[in-house]
Amino acid sequence: MRDVLRFLAAWALVHESADEGWRAAVTRGAGLSPGDLERGPDDFVDGLAALVDAEKERLKRELAADGAGVAPTEGASDRRDADLTAALEAVRFDLAELRGRIESLQTSVDALHAERDD
Amino acid sequence: MSARGRAIAAVALRSGASAAWRSGLGLRPRAERRRAVARALRLACEALGPTFIKLGQLASVRPDLVTPEMVFELERLQDRVPAVPVDAIRDVIRRELGAAPEHLFASFDPEPIATASIAQVHEATLAAPYRSVNGRLLGAGARVAVKVVRPGVARLIADDLAVARRWAERAERMRWLARWGPNALLREFESSLARELDLRVEGRVGDRFAFDFADDPLVMVPAVVWTHTTRSVLTSEFVDGWLLSELGEAERAGIDARALATHGAEVFMRQVLVFGRYHADLHPANLIVTRDGRIGYIDFGIAGRTTPPQRQAIAQVLVATAYGDADRALRASRALGLEVPEAVEPALRRGVARLMRAHLARSPADVRGFVTGFLGLLAEHRIAIPEGYGMLVKALVTVEGVARAIDPDIDLIEASKPFTTRLVAEQLLRPERLRERLPAALRAALAELMA
Repeated sequence: MRDVLRFLAAWALVHESADEGWRAAVTRGAGLSPGDLERGPDDFVDGLAALVDAEKERLKRELAADGAGVAPTEGASDRRDADLTAALEAVRFDLAELRGRIESLQTSVDALHAERDD
Repeated sequence: MSARGRAIAAVALRSGASAAWRSGLGLRPRAERRRAVARALRLACEALGPTFIKLGQLASVRPDLVTPEMVFELERLQDRVPAVPVDAIRDVIRRELGAAPEHLFASFDPEPIATASIAQVHEATLAAPYRSVNGRLLGAGARVAVKVVRPGVARLIADDLAVARRWAERAERMRWLARWGPNALLREFESSLARELDLRVEGRVGDRFAFDFADDPLVMVPAVVWTHTTRSVLTSEFVDGWLLSELGEAERAGIDARALATHGAEVFMRQVLVFGRYHADLHPANLIVTRDGRIGYIDFGIAGRTTPPQRQAIAQVLVATAYGDADRALRASRALGLEVPEAVEPALRRGVARLMRAHLARSPADVRGFVTGFLGLLAEHRIAIPEGYGMLVKALVTVEGVARAIDPDIDLIEASKPFTTRLVAEQLLRPERLRERLPAALRAALAELMA
């Protein structure tokens, strides 16, 4: 039993340290300027941590807005716009393809008329 | 028996005798015997003309139906025939499009730029502007390729198929031939041939391909001019560039062939794994490197399709193959319809692992060698190959061949790794999949923890 508790305590400690390390990385990363990420692996990790944190905050806002029935946030609205654009493009293509089929059929009809008139 | 039936029988007998002789009257090793039969069949197809050349070409993309030796021999089928006189081509155009080519186009070159058993191609220029299905405007005077089905070819094919049907009926009554299902096989080939003879089908596949790759600046698909296209005439934008056999010249002109080969591999992966529609006959003659450094895809006569669950399974198979995981590759293959009896599974797994070590664990990987061995292994264990699986595997080998023609050092497995890995990661990280798998994963982790 004591071993299990010890294991869980170790797990909690690792988690806590990782959490503190993460927060520090986010703070450092938030202070970086564009282009700093290429300076070295540490700066890259800090920058990435800041980006992930920003995305996490955005996700939190989206989830909260979904729960409260509020209008979608910027990210969700961008995704919806992209989906709508893709759907619009697909329908536009289907329509154009149909136009192609009709043009081809019209050519065949005209050719048959021409053959009959010869 | 009709005259044509007698002619076919004579060629079949001659080929059978030649195969028997070359295989030492059946005394040579099995692989050699199979190669001899495959070679005799290829020569017979070439001797018998369009129907059989086309049937052979269709069979060459179907390792689920014919032996691997046959697949790789039939892909060498020579489809070169003398040109049809331009007057006969003019008659087809007049009948199909309602006017002579001189009235329909600003110019029409009487010399064909390509001739094959089913159709021949002439260059022309548009008399009036045309907006393609994908919204691109081809101006008046734009160069186009006019592909015309050879006159009389439909009749010849119908006659040959009538003979083949009678033979298939007879073969169905013979027990040792009946297991191949000759009637069903012939019906399938008939429908594939009918699709190939209707050039509108090819035009539509091309348009869809262009739509799928509209966001890829390195992919060029000729736009179809539908006002000048019918069942037997296909008019499409002219693709100006170098054939793969002329790449030296392209490189001297500053084209980065290596980058194009790698990109070509990714384009194929996108076709199969993202769009579920792929060019299944991507041999070197169907690819052109354009003057502005793009890959031009032509001739969409044979196309394959994949469903969403198949795409997921194919991605898994590819990633498992790329990372040399035979067990996972076979498990994912099951989702594609590959039925492996329990009794042979361990032997098959060992065989696949051995093939992976021999052909894929080296640089550059040899996909063709791996696939040939794999198909042989399946045949050895009498495991049926599902249709889509066979076609895809063959397409992969063809893509490797084409990529190698561009860059002899390309490693298709390495080139496709980033794309397939990303795709599988995306599949695994989808919320619904995580929700589905997480409880089991947590239970397994807890069980491990408490053990």
